[in-house]
Amino acid sequence: MNCPVCEAPVLAGDSFCEACGQRLDAPACAGCGAPAVDADGYCERCGLRQPTGRDHAEIELAGGAAGVTDKGLRRARNEDAMALLSTGTATVAVVCDGVGSSPRADEASAVAVETAAAALARGASAVEAFELAGHAVTKLASSVEHAPACTYVSAVVTGGEITISWAGDTRAYWLPAGEPLTTDDTRRVVEPLTTDDTRPVGAPPAATGAEPTGEQLTEDDAAPTGEITAWLGADAGDVEPRVRTLAPAGPGLLLVCSDGLWRYLAGYAFPRSGTPLEMARAMLRHALDSGGQDNVTIVLIPLGGPHG
Amino acid sequence: MGDQPTFSLHIDQNKFLSTDGREVHAILTIGSTGAVTTTSATPAEAAEVIIVDTSGSMSGGKIREARQAAATAVQSLRDGVFFAVVSGTDTARVIYPHGRQLVRASRATRTEAQNAIGRLSANGGTSIGQWLLLAADLLAAHPNAIRHAILMTDGQNNERADVFAAALARCEGAFVCDSLGVGADWAPGELRKVAEALLGTFDFVRNQGDLADFFRKITQTSMSKTLAELVMRVWVPQTATLKFVKQVSPTLLDLTGKRTDVNPLTGDYPTGSWGAEEREYHLCVEVPPGQVGSEIRAGWVKLLRPDTQEVLASGNVLAQWTDDLAASTQINRKVAHYTGQAELHELIQDGLSARAAGQVEVATARLAKARQLATESGRSDTARLLDKVVEVDPHSGTARLRRGVDKADEIELDTGSVRTSRLRKDGEGS
Repeated sequence: MNCPVCEAPVLAGDSFCEACGQRLDAPACAGCGAPAVDADGYCERCGLRQPTGRDHAEIELAGGAAGVTDKGLRRARNEDAMALLSTGTATVAVVCDGVGSSPRADEASAVAVETAAAALARGASAVEAFELAGHAVTKLASSVEHAPACTYVSAVVTGGEITISWAGDTRAYWLPAGEPLTTDDTRRVVEPLTTDDTRPVGAPPAATGAEPTGEQLTEDDAAPTGEITAWLGADAGDVEPRVRTLAPAGPGLLLVCSDGLWRYLAGYAFPRSGTPLEMARAMLRHALDSGGQDNVTIVLIPLGGPHG
Repeated sequence: MGDQPTFSLHIDQNKFLSTDGREVHAILTIGSTGAVTTTSATPAEAAEVIIVDTSGSMSGGKIREARQAAATAVQSLRDGVFFAVVSGTDTARVIYPHGRQLVRASRATRTEAQNAIGRLSANGGTSIGQWLLLAADLLAAHPNAIRHAILMTDGQNNERADVFAAALARCEGAFVCDSLGVGADWAPGELRKVAEALLGTFDFVRNQGDLADFFRKITQTSMSKTLAELVMRVWVPQTATLKFVKQVSPTLLDLTGKRTDVNPLTGDYPTGSWGAEEREYHLCVEVPPGQVGSEIRAGWVKLLRPDTQEVLASGNVLAQWTDDLAASTQINRKVAHYTGQAELHELIQDGLSARAAGQVEVATARLAKARQLATESGRSDTARLLDKVVEVDPHSGTARLRRGVDKADEIELDTGSVRTSRLRKDGEGS
């Protein structure tokens, strides 16, 4: 065993290198693996700034519902935010994606998920929660020209019923259990739960022709150019959230995700085994392997079946 | 005087690298203020050796001016400072006090020293290395003091180059030395070596009559130092290389070769003694290729007291890879400015060497380019001196070397090229 900094031989269990005084029990670096991450969050061997809570975070609830958010490979920071909590009778999830062209978009998404999730947890309606989140994001703005902004999708699962509400291009999908949710050969095209205001845009998937597997429950609020047409923020005008309630016939998973995942869903075979957290991690790996162009946020809530 | 200065370290850089970007450049601005008064305000101990060239070439008016200047320097010493006066020929001799140790400055000792200086006469050769070795010996008795020497010469060093180099190597780190060249017969190259080895300045005293002023100014600056020695401790990642560390303001001073390894990733670079002042340093780190989006600390800089290991200021040089070309191709203004100042210095040095070697074309090209850079970066004094050496036709842009250049102008250009301009707020040099 050698000191990660000066390479002098050290004994396992030593707290400090006797040659250079380097701490030997520091956290391991996410890049080079050396136990040399300092208090500022940099590796003292390779220099890598360690992922912060915001860069990669995971949540797992007792009921199995789980969420993963990640900076992705091409962005400097994670402007997605997620909230996932259980009130005992309901599971509440909110995912927001900071609008890249707005300032402090990371603050917008963070305050939106926090505000909306708290409202939904205390029983507020989908529209009320949306409006509260909208006010909170609007308050961040110093002027209309400098208005932090984010997209929005919320989901409340109570018993067998799902209520979703959204603005922008953050999506929800229904993934029925037991069905071979691969693509091409199964003709059962599974749509997003959210519906598109205009038409599905947002980049690669449309171009490839293959439809993602899973039922899309939301529609994107987006122009054909890919620009979103509805969002939260001081410059958003009067935005009405769209709300949809459904009660799936059988067990399955509710997927709430940002475009960092869904842009890579064309032809993707969703994982069919493992806990929701493991499945969410597998989906994240898929998004990163596909290029990781954007921040990725994935929330999975099981309904019915073994998890429900 | 006894105030412990507080230090600030500010880093200017563009941290964004393109996907194949490998070099990270940063300008470090280190400022200190003596404004904070400590309760235990004991003045920092200071030790000063005044070295006067008394070789044969100094006879006549020059030795008179030198005596006057050395007396002025002694007069500028504050009470309690340890000092000695050395007379330099082909050997070195302590002319005050008697014996090989320093004495505390007081009204009495200053008067005695001035009397001794008044008896200085000129004869013999010039062995600058010998003078410095004696200064090192004298100052060695005061390891905790702010150790400084002031050296004045009018002639060329008669020592063999290797003897001189060995003497400089022995003195390195032992004290800071500022030197002055008088008249047109000395070689700037030799005093430049002294300045580089001993972290000091070197100046050309064009008019003998100004010598006393120069001595007073240098002594006063030395008296204003409150910390004997600070090092810049620089860490770079295991897979990176620290390409250079240079002081770029107020003067250019390459510290790269002065590294003392702390561990394989960390090295110390000496910066000498500090008072209330501001200096700037240019760091260049070569980093391994990185993934778009990931950020590393490419350099970790600490300003450190070597005696107590106390860190007085620190900062991070960062690197972040991006595929946004608008971000990665931007060059930080300060980095660009000091890169230009270093280039100007090199052009002048290369141009003057080529001129001395009779390589007219190289000399003309370098000096004409230097003139343009000097004008662009607000170095009007340097541009004025370059005008005396090279003539550039304002219409055609063609350049030619001037004949009959005043030796003093050439020396002034040569010695002055290490002095850099500061970057003004509007982006132009000043």
